[in-house]
Amino acid sequence: MTQATAAAVDGRVPVTVLTGFLGSGKTTLLNRILTEQHGLRIAVIENEFGEVGIDDALVLDAEEEIFEMNNGCICCTVRGDLIRILGALMRRREKFDHILIETTGLADPAPVAQTFFMDDEIAAQLRLDAIVTLVDSAHVLQHLDEVKPEGVENEAVEQIAFADRVVLNKTDLADEATVSEVISRIRAINASVQIIPAEHAKVDLQQVMDVGAFDLDRVLKDDPQFLTETEHQHDSTVTSVGIDLPGELDEDRLNRWLGNLLRTKGADIFRSKGILAIAGAPKQYVFQGVHMLLDGEFGRDWDDREPRGNKLVFIGRNLDRTALERDFAACLATTGATA
Amino acid sequence: MSNNSSTTAPDADVSTVWHTTIDDAPVALSAQDDLVAVAGAEGMVSVLDTATGTRIDALEVPGGLLHLELAPDGRHLAATGPTGYALWRRENGQMATFHTGAWSSVARWADRERVAVASGRRAVVLAADGRELWRTEPAASTVTDLAWMRGGRRLAVAAYGAVRCHERHQTAPVTTYPYIGSHLALAVAPTERWICSGNQDASIHIWRTRDGDELTMSGYREKVSRLAFDDTGFWLAADGAPDVTVWDFSGKGPAGTAPRSLRCHESITALAWRPGGGGHLASGGDDGTVALWRATAGRPEGRLRPARTLDGDAAVAALSWVGPHLLIAAHRDGTVRAHHLPSRTAL
Repeated sequence: MTQATAAAVDGRVPVTVLTGFLGSGKTTLLNRILTEQHGLRIAVIENEFGEVGIDDALVLDAEEEIFEMNNGCICCTVRGDLIRILGALMRRREKFDHILIETTGLADPAPVAQTFFMDDEIAAQLRLDAIVTLVDSAHVLQHLDEVKPEGVENEAVEQIAFADRVVLNKTDLADEATVSEVISRIRAINASVQIIPAEHAKVDLQQVMDVGAFDLDRVLKDDPQFLTETEHQHDSTVTSVGIDLPGELDEDRLNRWLGNLLRTKGADIFRSKGILAIAGAPKQYVFQGVHMLLDGEFGRDWDDREPRGNKLVFIGRNLDRTALERDFAACLATTGATA
Repeated sequence: MSNNSSTTAPDADVSTVWHTTIDDAPVALSAQDDLVAVAGAEGMVSVLDTATGTRIDALEVPGGLLHLELAPDGRHLAATGPTGYALWRRENGQMATFHTGAWSSVARWADRERVAVASGRRAVVLAADGRELWRTEPAASTVTDLAWMRGGRRLAVAAYGAVRCHERHQTAPVTTYPYIGSHLALAVAPTERWICSGNQDASIHIWRTRDGDELTMSGYREKVSRLAFDDTGFWLAADGAPDVTVWDFSGKGPAGTAPRSLRCHESITALAWRPGGGGHLASGGDDGTVALWRATAGRPEGRLRPARTLDGDAAVAALSWVGPHLLIAAHRDGTVRAHHLPSRTAL
């Protein structure tokens, strides 16, 4: 039932991005989605040659093409192959209920997500529903621990950092201690992500399709517990910082801080989401960002009985929790000089 | 029969000569003398009679279509799509399909004998019978557009990061015009003084052919994916905003100048200059409107209103002139209309 709300307010076709290392079960999940009796017309874009071949689905192959723009800004990196293919797909008469993009095991999710922010033609007709990352329970730790040369990203870490859902696959092939270690490692990177344990990629499709993870209204709804501090047993440079602060914010100071933060630290901040209380505004301010790109708007009204407060989360590299908490608190309308 | 309307006083009556419907969503249009060819997104090629709209041939290209172009003599047709390309021969109505698995964005005829087809990261030049004559080395990404220069002796290839010019039968480019960005559309002025690309970064990049001197027209709201020079090579029309922008390329070019803005559409979906160099432009919008413009009238930086608009039910997919008197419009719902403009000077 909850799914209907996301679709009802938005006529755009939802797009699910499947990421995960080779062998994590992406193709198995894809086949599962395609064979399930859901009555949906699905188009699949594959960046890896898979064994997918279902009569009712249109399967298109593509080679990953990452395009930087002349200004050299990381947020302007988009996926040219997706722009091209999605553009052609939208010109067809046959309408699809859902689009799935299966990326390669080594894909960087940022350009994929940014494509949906940066290209107007795509943004007008399609909405990024969720980034679903598949993880092989038995082998993911070695990928996470892999030391990369200076300046090279650990793709396994990135794919978890960007995820809205992590399918913890092949739990039957890992012992309990390993599985709990994997879960704590995932939480250390991405505290707010919903983790779905699975064997043979057997998951309830409602948990991964049309979940509206990128819908501003639904930001933070998935797991209200996510802001609680997680234990950091591991020295991980990619972490989450969740902030839960009661009170109302001064809009000017907030804009200045957030704008400056994303401009200067946007390369390190992979994802950001939040629900904020702006002084004088009857509605909640909801935002969602990928690197330097931010999408924000006023959502529902604050309930009279509801205490005004702010919840936000940053997922990224080398995040300075103390500075983030301090600078965000300085945006409270009740603190500092009132301009 | 005529379902056109006008927003301003027409100079002469424009009439709809014929209209027909094809069983696919049109994506591209090509007209040459007595033939009009329409490409459908799902792969249907419809060949129509220019005078009546009667269907002469209909063929299916598996994998869908992106573009098509009739040879200058109308004896052959090249159609391209997401998984390959096809060549149609009028003489016997035969279609040869080349399923390459590679994305073919566009086909451009050099003359009636040779056609360049984008095929993945390369351009392939074919004889009219489909025989491969030569191919370029791979570009940095999938080829997005092609243009012939020097009377068919040089081929300009647009892809990510550069426009590369190849002499015939040379796999490596003889000249490279680099610019970091995704070049979506290519337009070479008929004077060949300018090479322009429409870019994903919402700009038009311009090179002076002679010395590679560069210029960027930025500030567009959206990516620029349609560019068109008029017959004189003095005027370039572009999308990238609700207004069509028209740049003056006469004299020293557009550096330091402002374009004329043509206000009619919310989103531009097609541009086609009327043949003859009279400054008449046709544009199409996603609301189905076809607008006719005296696009070079007034002063630079001026905002123009259409001389006439023609309404359609569905978004305009493509526009093509057959000489100065007949404008063909294909709409996304499959409707194809031929509009007759009786006067050469009026709209």
